[in-house]
Order: sequence, then C-alpha cells, then structure tokens
Amino acid sequence: MGFILSLMTQEQHLFTEEVDFLQAKGVDGEFGVLKGHAPFLTLLDVGEFLIRKGSIDLSYFVAGGVIEVLPDRVTVLADTIERAEEIDGTRAEEARKNAFEALKQPITEESRITFQQVLKREGVRLKILERRRHHSPVPFGEE
Amino acid sequence: MPSLRSIRSRIKSVKNTRQITKAMEMVASAKMKKAQKRVLDARPYAEKIRELLHRIATLEKAWPNPYFEVRPVETIGIVLVSTDRGLCGPINSNLIRTLSRFMKERPDVKFEFVTIGRKGRDFVRRAGLPLTGVIQGVKDKGGIAEILPASQVVVQEFAEKRNWQEVWVFYTQFVSIMTQKPQFEKLLPIDPQSLAGHAIAGATGDYLYEPDRRDILDVLIPRYFETIIFHRVLENFASEYSARMMAMKNATANAKEVIYGLTLTYNKLRQANITKEISEISSGAEAINQG
Repeated sequence: MGFILSLMTQEQHLFTEEVDFLQAKGVDGEFGVLKGHAPFLTLLDVGEFLIRKGSIDLSYFVAGGVIEVLPDRVTVLADTIERAEEIDGTRAEEARKNAFEALKQPITEESRITFQQVLKREGVRLKILERRRHHSPVPFGEE
Repeated sequence: MPSLRSIRSRIKSVKNTRQITKAMEMVASAKMKKAQKRVLDARPYAEKIRELLHRIATLEKAWPNPYFEVRPVETIGIVLVSTDRGLCGPINSNLIRTLSRFMKERPDVKFEFVTIGRKGRDFVRRAGLPLTGVIQGVKDKGGIAEILPASQVVVQEFAEKRNWQEVWVFYTQFVSIMTQKPQFEKLLPIDPQSLAGHAIAGATGDYLYEPDRRDILDVLIPRYFETIIFHRVLENFASEYSARMMAMKNATANAKEVIYGLTLTYNKLRQANITKEISEISSGAEAINQG
C-alpha cells in the first residue's frame, strides 16, 4: 500500500502515480515519506528525489519549490525537475567548471552567490549521475 | 482593357499568395494545437498553488502581507500580453480597445506598463505612456524563464518600491478556434475571495511547516502570479495561432474567389480577341474576293 505522488512544474505535469516511498530534500534536511505521514509543508532544496514503487527505484533531480505531504497524497510543486536519465553529464561538468573558474575571479557579491548556486546544482546533478552508474532504475509513469 | 498577359501574371501572383496563406494556415493550426496542450499541461500546477495559497492565507490572516494589502490606487501597473507578429486577425486591436476603455473608466489613475509581445509595446510607445519593462520574442516552446523578468518588475514596483498599488493583466482569452476574447484580471493585490473555491478536499487542520509558514508564503506568492502570467502568455499564443489560422483561411478563400474572377475575365478577353481576329481575317478575305 502506498500513497499518491504528483510531480509538477509550472510548465508541465510530470506524473501522478501510486508509490510506496519517497525520499526528498527539504531546506531543513532530507526526509522520507511513507503512507500516513503527518500533514507537512516544506520548501525544497536542490537535491535528489528517490521514489520507490514496488521493486522499481526512480531518481529525479529537483531544485526549488514546495512539497505538500498529506497522509495519502504528496504533491510536489518544483521549479525544476529532471529525470536522472535526462541529466546531461558533459553540460553539467562544463557548467561546474565555468562556475568554479568564475569564483576565482574578483566578482560582485551577487554574482558570487549565483555561481555558488550553479556549483551546487551541477554538483548534485553529477552526484546523481555517479550513483546511477552503479544501479540503473527502470522508469515508470511514462504515457 | 487590360492585356491578356497582364491578367495572366496577376492570376499567377494570386495563386502564389494562395499557396502561402494556405501554408500559413496549416502551420498556425499545428502550432495552435501545441499551444492548447501546453495550457492544459500548466493547469494542474496553477490549481494546486491556488489551493495551497488559499489555505495558508486564511490561516495567516493576522499577518500584514504586502501582496494582500489593499492600498488607495494612484498608479496601476499593467502587464500587457500581445503577439509579436501580425497577420492574426483583430485580436491585438480588440485587446487595445478593451485596454483603452479600461483606462478611460479610471481617469484619475496613472498607468505604467510591462509589455510581453511587440504589438502591445508599439501601442504603449505610440500612446506615449510610461513603459517599465519590455519582453519580446517569447517563444511558444519557451519555458517560464522567459517571462520571469516581467514578474520581477511586478515584484519591484508593487512590493518593493510600492509605486504600483494594483497590477492587472491584459491578454486574449482562447474561447474556441472561432472566438478569442480580450480579457483582463486583477493580479495584485491578491483577493482572498478569488482563491476561495479551491479548498482542499479531505484535508483538515494545519500542517507542520518547515521552516516557517511565512517563509513558505514568501516562496508561494511570487510563484503564484508568475504562474498566472505564464498561463496568460500560453493562452495568448493559442489565441494568436487560432486567429491567424482563421485569418489565413479567409485569405485563402478570398484568393480562390479572385482567381475565379480573373480567370473568367481572362477567358472572355481571350474569346473576344479570337472573335476579333477571325472577323478581321474573314473581312480581309472578303475584301480580296471582291477585288
């Protein structure tokens, strides 16, 4: 027995499916959700979403937004969602390198924050890719 | 009397035009379907965020939030969503007419504009009205990032500088392929009444919040009106393409009529010419026989 999980961004609705378990990263840390969780609302950090449905494990890159947890329903309103399979490793690596170089230069406080965010995002993307090399889950929820 | 050759070349050029309008009609119809789908794709998020905002806003009544605060109106900010290109029937001029009426009804209020789309910008410039932000060349496949500058201007002028006391969006609503309606709505301040009717079914009581209810509200509110603006832009695309499709369909039908008329004139003229030539030849022969 699981709960209904909906993933959506401002641009599209990714899927609504029954799943067994969700691990997400909020601004105050990682947390897991099973059926019957207390009503809970938090902001999302940049991080990995792990979803388990039966014997299938799924991984998503999620950045920013809000998650609403209800006992039988979880809704994710994210700014960015990417399936782990969709992450472009070479692009992420390049963006990270660029940001790294830019941070060495004397720059304004504002752009320093921007580049640090890029560094963090791309770092998470690469970590997800790294982990996927060891075991690759099969996607579901594709119509 | 025009010459045969000039009519022939006109027929040819009208035929070319018909081909172009026919092609544009088909392109517009394909794009319209995609735009409609994107409107539908974006809808669940919009509904959900309304629902959440309503819930938290009612719980958080005591907190004076600038986005809910009703202030005496001196300046209204208008987000004007129009098309970049023409050849799409009367949708832009209808929208501008609606906007002008809206402004006439409020003679004591100043207006400032953020435009998305070239036609709206042209209007604001021509009318000599203050233009605070301009977005052009939004792609119909583009993401929400393309319209974020508009919402940043709104945040700045409405909440930070407090120059605007109200913000309205003007756009063309997609009713059906045949009908597109100029439409406007108040974006800010958020009217808690407008959020009602989106109460969550089956959920009672409060949530646990992390970090804080107000922090979450701070994130949700900008997302909320970003989503509305984005939605309106998508809808405007659907309207643009269906209006263009209809305009091009009419143009194709017109071209057909013109070709028919020209062909008729051409054949009549050709026949008249042949008759004239025959009578010339026969009268010439007659003259020789008699001579």
